[in-house]
Amino acid sequence: MNLLADDSNELVPLKPKLPAAAFVGTPKDIPPGSIIEPSVDKSKPPLRIPKDAVNIAPSAQITTSDANAKPDALRKITDGIKEADDANLVLLRKGVQYIQFDFGSPQQIFALVIWHAYDTPKVYHGVVVQLADDAGFTKNVRTIFNNDAANADGRGAGTDHEYFESFEGKTINAKGENARYVRLYTKGSTDGSFNEYTEVEIYGRPMK
Amino acid sequence: MSRALIFGLLLALAAALALRCPQLDIRPMHNDEAVNAIKLRTLWEQGSYKYDPQEYHGPTLIYLTFAWMKLIGPVQFAHFDEIQLRLITVIFGVGLILFLPLISDALGRGAIVCAAILIAVSPAMVFYSRYFIHEMLLVAFTFLTIAAGWRYTRNRKPGWAVLAGVSIGLMQATKETFVLSIAAAVAAIFLNKLCNRDPNETANVFSLNRQHLIAAIAAWFITVIVLFTSFFTNARGPLDAVLTYFPWLHRVEGASPHLHPWDYYLSRLIYFHSGRGPVWSEALVLILAIVGIIAAFNPKSRLEGNRKFIRFIALYTIILTAIYSAISYKTPWCLLSFWQGMILLAGVGAMALINLGSQFIWKIPVSCVLLALTVQLAYQAWQVSVPYASNIHNPYIYAQTSDDILNLVERLDKLAPTDAQKNSFVIKVMAPDSEYWPLPWYLRQFKQVGFWPRVPADPYSDAMIVSTAFQANLDQKKTHIMAGLFELRPQTFFELYVETNAWTTYVNGAQRSQ
Repeated sequence: MNLLADDSNELVPLKPKLPAAAFVGTPKDIPPGSIIEPSVDKSKPPLRIPKDAVNIAPSAQITTSDANAKPDALRKITDGIKEADDANLVLLRKGVQYIQFDFGSPQQIFALVIWHAYDTPKVYHGVVVQLADDAGFTKNVRTIFNNDAANADGRGAGTDHEYFESFEGKTINAKGENARYVRLYTKGSTDGSFNEYTEVEIYGRPMK
Repeated sequence: MSRALIFGLLLALAAALALRCPQLDIRPMHNDEAVNAIKLRTLWEQGSYKYDPQEYHGPTLIYLTFAWMKLIGPVQFAHFDEIQLRLITVIFGVGLILFLPLISDALGRGAIVCAAILIAVSPAMVFYSRYFIHEMLLVAFTFLTIAAGWRYTRNRKPGWAVLAGVSIGLMQATKETFVLSIAAAVAAIFLNKLCNRDPNETANVFSLNRQHLIAAIAAWFITVIVLFTSFFTNARGPLDAVLTYFPWLHRVEGASPHLHPWDYYLSRLIYFHSGRGPVWSEALVLILAIVGIIAAFNPKSRLEGNRKFIRFIALYTIILTAIYSAISYKTPWCLLSFWQGMILLAGVGAMALINLGSQFIWKIPVSCVLLALTVQLAYQAWQVSVPYASNIHNPYIYAQTSDDILNLVERLDKLAPTDAQKNSFVIKVMAPDSEYWPLPWYLRQFKQVGFWPRVPADPYSDAMIVSTAFQANLDQKKTHIMAGLFELRPQTFFELYVETNAWTTYVNGAQRSQ
């Protein structure tokens, strides 16, 4: 029997009928200011770093891709005040924007903790963290975090997950990489097109 | 109509269109708009519509949009867009101005022009004219009922009685809350009679010839039967139109997430300021309406229109405002019903203020101040409708879909850019309590889309849009990647999972295009 000639043996993908949408009424309105924390994964143990590693971000010079941002405003990113208050926020314009830290000399970097804005549950898009040896990010560029799966930032497609902003900040393991410069990219959030920073801490020590 | 009246109405019409038509698609579709659109889809593609007494209001919006789309729309529902849908409510929002000449002798010509301009620029009126829900239709049909009733009292021609009957039928077939407007109107008629015991007035201004009354009631019933039976295909429809009040009463009694304090509407209209947003206020309308009410009840005031009619509108508006404020179940668009009355009274109030002094030295500065305040109102209307269209600090948004949803839609669109790919690309959407609206609207171009209130036994497909509430982790098998988190509404988030090969192809394509 010639199986190939028999149409009844042809294999086709199973395509069951999919369920239609169920109609629902007007959803509940969430008034401005009310916060319901989305679930956060508490299972991960805290990152461990060397005892002599300290927050070196306050001593770094901060610059940004947003030409409108003033240096005084950028200093709020490392002033140690990280409450979810408008007064603590640094607002950068729409689109892909970065802030850059220059430590003046190469440092051994172990961890970053980033608070974009957590006044309301939101997720930042295109979060990329890179280290480099030069200010233009052309020499020895290393990406230590990238959740820009669609490569919207143009730094390559990332495989890290997007995450909810929270009061705990986002901790990123830098694994003791040596670098003088650190760049943090974002491209807006689920809450709007602007880019926001409340605080950034970078834990490291002078390169040995 | 005088030239001044025509000029004033044309000016209002131009302002109304200028504020209502631009960037009609700037605000993402609200849950309710999407539900209405998908109900239209059933009518468009399957030729069926059936009134549901539990939710979703009456059939006029669906049928009128169907007729409108036949006139202007594309053949395939997948090619309908937000602008085409929202133009139907824009038409009714502008229709409120076009109907005004019907009561020019009742309100006075000057008051009609002022009211027309205030309708044109009222932020609430503008915002909800750009919103594909039933409210603007209800307001327009309510006004038509009042106007037809007024015209009938003028000339006793049966045609106006019939038009009033048809309009009441259209009100009923638009939204269940029409009973509140009818109750307020009936109460206002009786109270007005008590207030107006003037022996010189001809009695029974609002009385009806019995035959005309029968004709009006017949017109009402016929309209209701035609629309609620879905053009004689659903015999139960008219019964459901009555039974619908049981679930709605249940909600009014407290079984609803939409319970708000008595001043919910007025606080949004008079003074609203939230977070980083600006201050919003339509207090101008309310203040002028109060002046109009005082003028209507002060026998010494100079009124160009009919004092009895203006008193009726005043009583109707006060009663309707009280009813809506007293009912705990509140959604912000409901305020339009009484706000329309306020605007008519504000027109009277504006003219009463202008005519308070007879000299130009009074009239010109007062007119200039009112004009300046009206321009400010128009500015707010633009802000609320375009820059703040979906902003949480906008007083008129309610459970609004986030702009971020458009990023999700764009990503899916790029994953399957051609019609052929959209026909075969399988998307599974999962959210508790079916809280995935308006995604059915945004996924209308995809032919293989399924919706689940839970994570099904086999959740995998080309793409999965999954509520974060499920913590699904559908990328653990490495067959799919988690391609991002997206906000549907404030505090409602979805994960997008995409089949790994499809994602790789997409990312490589995006990189090449860069």
